[in-house]
Amino acid sequence: MHVNLSHMLRRDPWFLTGMILTLFFLMVTFLGPFLAPFSPWNMDFVPLSPPSSTHLLGVNDGGQDIFSELLYAVRNTFFFGMISASTALFLGVLIGALAGWFGGVADLILMRLADVLLATPAIMILILVAALFRPSPHILALILAGLMWPTIGKTIRSQTLSLKQSLHVRAARQMGGGSAYVISRHLIPEMFPLYLIGFAAKARMAMFMEAALAFLGLLDPSRKSLGMMISYALQYYYMDIWWHWLFPPILCLSLLIMMVTFLAISLEKVVDPRLRVNLPGRLS
Amino acid sequence: MSLMIQDFSVVYRDGDHSIQAVEEATLAVKEGECLALVGESGSGKTSLGKACLGLLPQNAETTGRILLNDRYMDFSNDMALNAIRWQKIAMVFQNGAETLNPSYRIIDQVAEPVMKLAGRSRKEALHRASRALLEMGLPENCYRHYPHQLSGGQVQRSLLAMATILDPDILILDEPTSALDALNKGFVSDIIEDYKQRGKGVLLITHDLAFAVAHGDEMAVLYLGQVMETLPAREMFSNPLHPYTLALGRSYPTMGTARELGGIRGDAFYRLVHQHGRGDAAQYHHSHIQIPESAHMDGHAPPVGCLFQGRCTQTIEACRTGIVTLETVAHHRVRCLRRGIVSILSLQGISKRYDEKTALHPTDLVLKAGDLLSLVGETGSGKTTLAMIAAGVLAQDRGSRILEDRDMDEWLKKDVRSMARKVGVVYQNPAASISHRFTVLDAVAEPLAIHGLGLGKDERKEMVKSVLVDVHLSTDDTFLGRYPHELNMGALQRVCIARALILTPSLLIADEPTSALDPSVQAKVLKLLLDLQTERGLTMLFVSHDIALARKISDRMGIMLSGYLVELGRASRIISNPVHPYTKMLLEGAGGNRQQGWKVPPDGEPSKGCPFFPRCPKGKNICQEEFPSIHKSEHGWVACHFVDV
Repeated sequence: MHVNLSHMLRRDPWFLTGMILTLFFLMVTFLGPFLAPFSPWNMDFVPLSPPSSTHLLGVNDGGQDIFSELLYAVRNTFFFGMISASTALFLGVLIGALAGWFGGVADLILMRLADVLLATPAIMILILVAALFRPSPHILALILAGLMWPTIGKTIRSQTLSLKQSLHVRAARQMGGGSAYVISRHLIPEMFPLYLIGFAAKARMAMFMEAALAFLGLLDPSRKSLGMMISYALQYYYMDIWWHWLFPPILCLSLLIMMVTFLAISLEKVVDPRLRVNLPGRLS
Repeated sequence: MSLMIQDFSVVYRDGDHSIQAVEEATLAVKEGECLALVGESGSGKTSLGKACLGLLPQNAETTGRILLNDRYMDFSNDMALNAIRWQKIAMVFQNGAETLNPSYRIIDQVAEPVMKLAGRSRKEALHRASRALLEMGLPENCYRHYPHQLSGGQVQRSLLAMATILDPDILILDEPTSALDALNKGFVSDIIEDYKQRGKGVLLITHDLAFAVAHGDEMAVLYLGQVMETLPAREMFSNPLHPYTLALGRSYPTMGTARELGGIRGDAFYRLVHQHGRGDAAQYHHSHIQIPESAHMDGHAPPVGCLFQGRCTQTIEACRTGIVTLETVAHHRVRCLRRGIVSILSLQGISKRYDEKTALHPTDLVLKAGDLLSLVGETGSGKTTLAMIAAGVLAQDRGSRILEDRDMDEWLKKDVRSMARKVGVVYQNPAASISHRFTVLDAVAEPLAIHGLGLGKDERKEMVKSVLVDVHLSTDDTFLGRYPHELNMGALQRVCIARALILTPSLLIADEPTSALDPSVQAKVLKLLLDLQTERGLTMLFVSHDIALARKISDRMGIMLSGYLVELGRASRIISNPVHPYTKMLLEGAGGNRQQGWKVPPDGEPSKGCPFFPRCPKGKNICQEEFPSIHKSEHGWVACHFVDV
């Protein structure tokens, strides 16, 4: 099965929307500090001012420029999601491939561990850890990754098991290829589409999780975050602030999550032939 | 009445070069026997024949001796020689029409030896000549014809009449059948048989191998003047020991051959001996191998290395430098440093179970170098299991495997890689056996990557290109950069074959390599495999369910049924004379016939007895009770209770 991925994806509206959003958020993330008119920690402005030409989205209750705050918050959430998702992906692929390839006791132990983690509610652990130890957001992202890898790991493992029986892997084994060779040259590249799907799903989960923790006030208050912005804005719900203070972070969070969701949906369609029927693409 | 040739050499001098035509041949034409000399043209057969009559040209130098009836022949004494020629030894020359004098009538020429050598009167001579011609079946009105008025067959008959007219003790026949069609060969056969019966000797020089096998008792295989092998003639096709004998047999079409003709790679060379004055070191040139200057030789010294090395498919380093002499191996004499064709793979008592089902019952199988064995049988008969155990991919439950004289299991444990280098595998589905993320270059170079060979990128690419040329694929960069899904199945299977061959394995295992291909592509791939076998001397284990396909390429065939190898033998024998009822069924099935009484294979395996019993038309009670014992025959066996039925 060789799917002409790029060709199929270029015609998929889900993928196109997702890619446009990705580009937009990548730009915001990397150019954010330069685009921001003020420092988000600068409290020199008149609190609760409505939007104006200097303050595009107004000023919050602490006298900080909301637009600058939003740029930094998007950046933080995005990073959190990426770090967490890529770590989870790395762990999942490594553990899944090793468990599937070697089987036996290693497989048994790793998969029971995965079962335990799957049964554990990640949000509860994170809330507890964040509340008790107040770790830095990066550590939290890694902890979250440690809780999220099992779904990826299980998928990779089952795929490895089926690939192990495939002719080209058996041929490579017959030619004298060792485990390291087969895993790195045959298994890891072969499962590439699965990584995208896994990554997208985990990034979505991680970003939502970060927003939730910040909303609950469990993260460093000086660290700008979409969840925290929403939380503060909600305290002034009776004022006419929803459209310039409450709505932008909610929109950004939604778009971020939409971005990865759209990508995941389109990639899943490409990879899973059963969903591919209506896709205007081409199999070759 | 015997002719012994002892250490006989012939060198043709021609200015500075000399051609070594025969080298130290020791052969014997025994009483009542026929010695067949075979070999490619230029191998020295005719020189040897002419030498027995002292008929070599002036520029020929000979050493060694020839004994007629235990007496040395003196080639310097013309008188003595004339007493022997025609009366003791007579020869029928090649190219009949050219050896007859065009200006004499046939009967006069036939009568000539009687007059000149036996000293009889013209009348008696003519009388005997006409009788001899009559015996040869020539119509009477031909006797007074001139040679050009006769047909090729008639010329050959008159020559035979001339040679036999004085009833010599030894008859030398040089290509007696080359001008004759199959029906006219009969009278030559009659003469040979008659001479043998009367206790006389026949030296038959021919390239007609089937004729040589039919009439020869001993056979000597000559190559570039050297006797490569002497063997009982009937074993020419069934049990050759020298690679040259095998290749020669494989090139010759007999009615029994089923597979395509193989040919021998490369071309035979003349053996030139350059001499720069007396005492200088002479150099042998053959098969583009040059002899180091330190080797002092004159025209009669043994050359360095084996003469067949350039064309042989099992050449090792020693063959290039060692001194090769005729050695007795079994009941043959073989001139080969490796004592004849080596055994590549030997499986003994291999068996395999998958959970509840026995996939393979204890099976023995031996593959010799250059052998092409097909495993044929219905699905689930254990063909692939056996092939994969042979490839070292699967491990057997019991039994031992030996690959190139090493225990394979131990080898696998110690060093998987060097073992893997010896075996190439081609799989049924070419598309699945290459990762779809590999380009052609990646795929073919994969074994190099695994074995860490040809580390330089360019070097690796060159190796890939050279093997792609071997499998008749393009070598340009566009092709090297293509992905499997961009190629058709035929090209893809060639890529797989190239990948299997790039490490120059000695054993190639092909598991249904053409079943995913359409017939025209299949034909090309099979032809390619055969060519590769000729060129590289690959030993091949070919798995197929298609007996019609297997017969076109196999030397030997193994018929598999429910994990048993029920019949094994030469492919031609199995096709023309199948013994096991199951083989017959497969053959009939391949022919599109379905005989009455054949039953559908039952589910499950019978606990005892012959696995074919439920479907066998010959089945008796005994078949249900016990597994048939194995009846061994020449190079094979049959497992059936009713072999003679």
